[in-house]
Amino acid sequence: MVRDMSIFFRRRRRQKEQDDKEQKKQPSSKGNAEKDKDKNKDDEKANKHAEEWEKELSKSTDYQKKDYINRKTGKKFIFTFIPTLVEEKVLDNNALPPLLEEEFLKIIDVKKLLPIADVEVSSDTKKIAQKLLDGYVLLTLEEDTREFAFFSAKKTVVRSVTSPEIEFSVIGPKEAFVESIGDNLNMVRTRLPVKELIIEEYTVGKLSRTKVAVIYIDGITNKEIINTVKQRIDDIVKDEIADSSYFTQLIADNGNSPFPQLLDSERPDRVASSLAEGKVAIIVDGSPHALIGPTSLTEFFNAFEDYFLNWILATFIRMIRLFAVVFSIMITPLYVAVVTHHYELIPKDLLVTLVASRRVVPFPPVLEALFLEVTIELLREAGARLPTKVGQTIGIVGGIVIGTASVEAGLTSNVLLIFIALSALASFTTPVYQMSNTIRLLRFPFLFMAEIWGILGMTIAFSFLIAHLLRLTSLGLPYMEPVFPLRLHDFKDALFRLPFSSQSKRPTFLRTGDSSRFSKDKAKKKKDIDE
Amino acid sequence: MKVTRILLTLLMCCLLLVGCNPRYERKVIDDINIATGMGIDKSGDQLKGSIMIPVFKADKSMENFLFTAKGTIMRDVAAQMQQKASQPIFSGSMDVALFEEVVAREGIVQVLDVFLRDPSVGARVHLAVVDGKAQEIFEGNYGDRGNAQYLKDLIEHNMEGGNLPLTNLHSFLFNFYQQGKDPYLPYLKQESPELVNITGIAIFKDEKVIDILHENKMFYFKLLVDKFSMGQVKVKEEHGEATVKSITSDTNMKLTKRKPYEITVQIKLKGLLTEHEGTRLEKNEVKDIEKELEKQINKTCLKLLEDFQKQKVDPIGVGHFVKTKTRNFNFEKWQTDYQDVTFKVSTNVRILEVGVVE
Repeated sequence: MVRDMSIFFRRRRRQKEQDDKEQKKQPSSKGNAEKDKDKNKDDEKANKHAEEWEKELSKSTDYQKKDYINRKTGKKFIFTFIPTLVEEKVLDNNALPPLLEEEFLKIIDVKKLLPIADVEVSSDTKKIAQKLLDGYVLLTLEEDTREFAFFSAKKTVVRSVTSPEIEFSVIGPKEAFVESIGDNLNMVRTRLPVKELIIEEYTVGKLSRTKVAVIYIDGITNKEIINTVKQRIDDIVKDEIADSSYFTQLIADNGNSPFPQLLDSERPDRVASSLAEGKVAIIVDGSPHALIGPTSLTEFFNAFEDYFLNWILATFIRMIRLFAVVFSIMITPLYVAVVTHHYELIPKDLLVTLVASRRVVPFPPVLEALFLEVTIELLREAGARLPTKVGQTIGIVGGIVIGTASVEAGLTSNVLLIFIALSALASFTTPVYQMSNTIRLLRFPFLFMAEIWGILGMTIAFSFLIAHLLRLTSLGLPYMEPVFPLRLHDFKDALFRLPFSSQSKRPTFLRTGDSSRFSKDKAKKKKDIDE
Repeated sequence: MKVTRILLTLLMCCLLLVGCNPRYERKVIDDINIATGMGIDKSGDQLKGSIMIPVFKADKSMENFLFTAKGTIMRDVAAQMQQKASQPIFSGSMDVALFEEVVAREGIVQVLDVFLRDPSVGARVHLAVVDGKAQEIFEGNYGDRGNAQYLKDLIEHNMEGGNLPLTNLHSFLFNFYQQGKDPYLPYLKQESPELVNITGIAIFKDEKVIDILHENKMFYFKLLVDKFSMGQVKVKEEHGEATVKSITSDTNMKLTKRKPYEITVQIKLKGLLTEHEGTRLEKNEVKDIEKELEKQINKTCLKLLEDFQKQKVDPIGVGHFVKTKTRNFNFEKWQTDYQDVTFKVSTNVRILEVGVVE
């Protein structure tokens, strides 16, 4: 599957140029140059280069050159490759038998002979070093070194496709992306087997040479969005890319915002359905998370499972989630604000409970709240850094022991403990991990403002938050859509999820090439016989 | 860009200056005394104020504590109380304010001025006039939810489901400042150290109490002043006594004649029979009860209206009503005109249900 990957890609001219530039910097030449009998000037130059790239590569112990002799013609041929990158089975089972047994004279014949799809005949010596590093095997004949062949025998260490862990769903597909870009693209292609699905490949990073695929549906996705993505990827100057989350940060519209501006997903079904909506997906080699853009704030609170449920249930769950977000950010600051500044707002019956639990606490409400918030953050961080089994113990120790003990010791009030625990619980309902981290953080500015000016302070903090969100864009499109700019049509799949029959139009803010997903009239007809 | 930066700095300054407002001093709930009730009594020439605060105990029970002080004006009284308190007293959570009848007969607006100037005091504070001393009412012990909560609940549930018309600081001030309408407040009496009773309605002329309406007229009074009544009334007819609980009521005034003014008050009442003397309802007895009740309401309401007329008070807001119907209305002339108004009351009672027992 990985071997066939390059078939998927449409290389662009610019990319090639870039490749060429890179190759120029690296010394490269033909293999076996010392045995070359032709003595023209080019070859002399090549010989020098050849020695250079060979010198470089042979510094590593995993560089191999092997001679073989064809049994029929007695011709000598040489394999040059890097064994740590090459699948030996391919050499043993596919490449060697025909080359040893069958008759061949020229290098061109090899192409027909080898039962391998990715075979390339070339005379471009500059390519060699990079090809070897990409897991190709260089095949040269002893007498004619001007032309040579590459065939792909890349060994990839891949884990098998597992069920999604972060975006787990009870019902629905159970496959998640893996680290191999080929497998990931295969999963997306399988879900959208149309010729309009375009995959464009880029290589980013001077050292990591990470393959990046930009996926969109031609004719649906807005050209401007595609161009924005391409341009931003071209502009990346980082030397090493480890994961797609690097991309989220590198191509974000506002790098100084705590809000993620690209949606990451480990679900091929979610990527496919976003593509069908007219969005662009970015898949990065070595990362089990695809990126989807442009996105909006509401999308971060939609789990893909919402689509597997009846629309009434899905809408209800979305509402719960939205409430949980507001609750999670606001409840601790609200407690601090009310207890510190606005005693009038407390119902009389609650006053007894609040005062009785506050009475023993020696700290002002804000310190008490900070103490617990920091404890919760510590627990989360400790849980995340420790192995799973130890992590569970931490949860119990933290949740039960520290919580109860701090109340008994009179360091915190038990009312606040309930609020903090609830808000931590509520913050876990956010389906996208990146966003739930943001929500964790947002609580703190609100807390400080609540301490200083009470609810007025919270209002000020909220104004700043809203102002920031309104300015934010995702790939140039407004982040707060459909709330601002107001697009009533797009509410059908933002705060609510209306039934599929009313989802006949693609989101308006994406300005898709084809706004209609299906005919609405047909969707409403039901062809029951007994009616 | 430069302009935006300057504007932003200015905005930030404004925000920071808000912090200089002393209203944003910290009022942590366990470090303050939350006043829930205030009472004003007369003591010699001076006013005697008492402020009730709840004292919360570690076992989540509460007790009431009373600060008292004497003075001539309310602010002075309040300042004296602060001197006695270990923690500052805040009045933002006030539930009830009680006035001794003697104080109320001399006028209460000077006292209410304290409330008006303090934005933290809500408009839903319940005011009431007390038969006896306000301090005595606060000194009673009415259950474990606190005295203020008891008094508040007492007044509120009688407004919602009883014969007490809706009153609070807001409606009192509205009636007070509205020309051609006079305020009224509930009239409370401490029956025992554990019980307070609503014994009537204090009728104000401007800011002074001039009359106390007896509790058996409260139902009719509520019919006249309130749009909605849930009260209960007793009817006597030939088969015996019956009680009717009203579900809805609607009162309309109509100006039927000018010079001299004639005003027809139309009352529509829908109710249900809650009690009846005698086991069975005879045929047409419901009709009889309806008619009897209509007669009774007509008679009592007319009496009420004429009494108010004699006392030159207008809690129903007849003056206000006539003003809405008259161009270039002259209130000074109305003072004399009011005395010549003839009232007519016509009532329509419908009993919708008689209960499950036939």
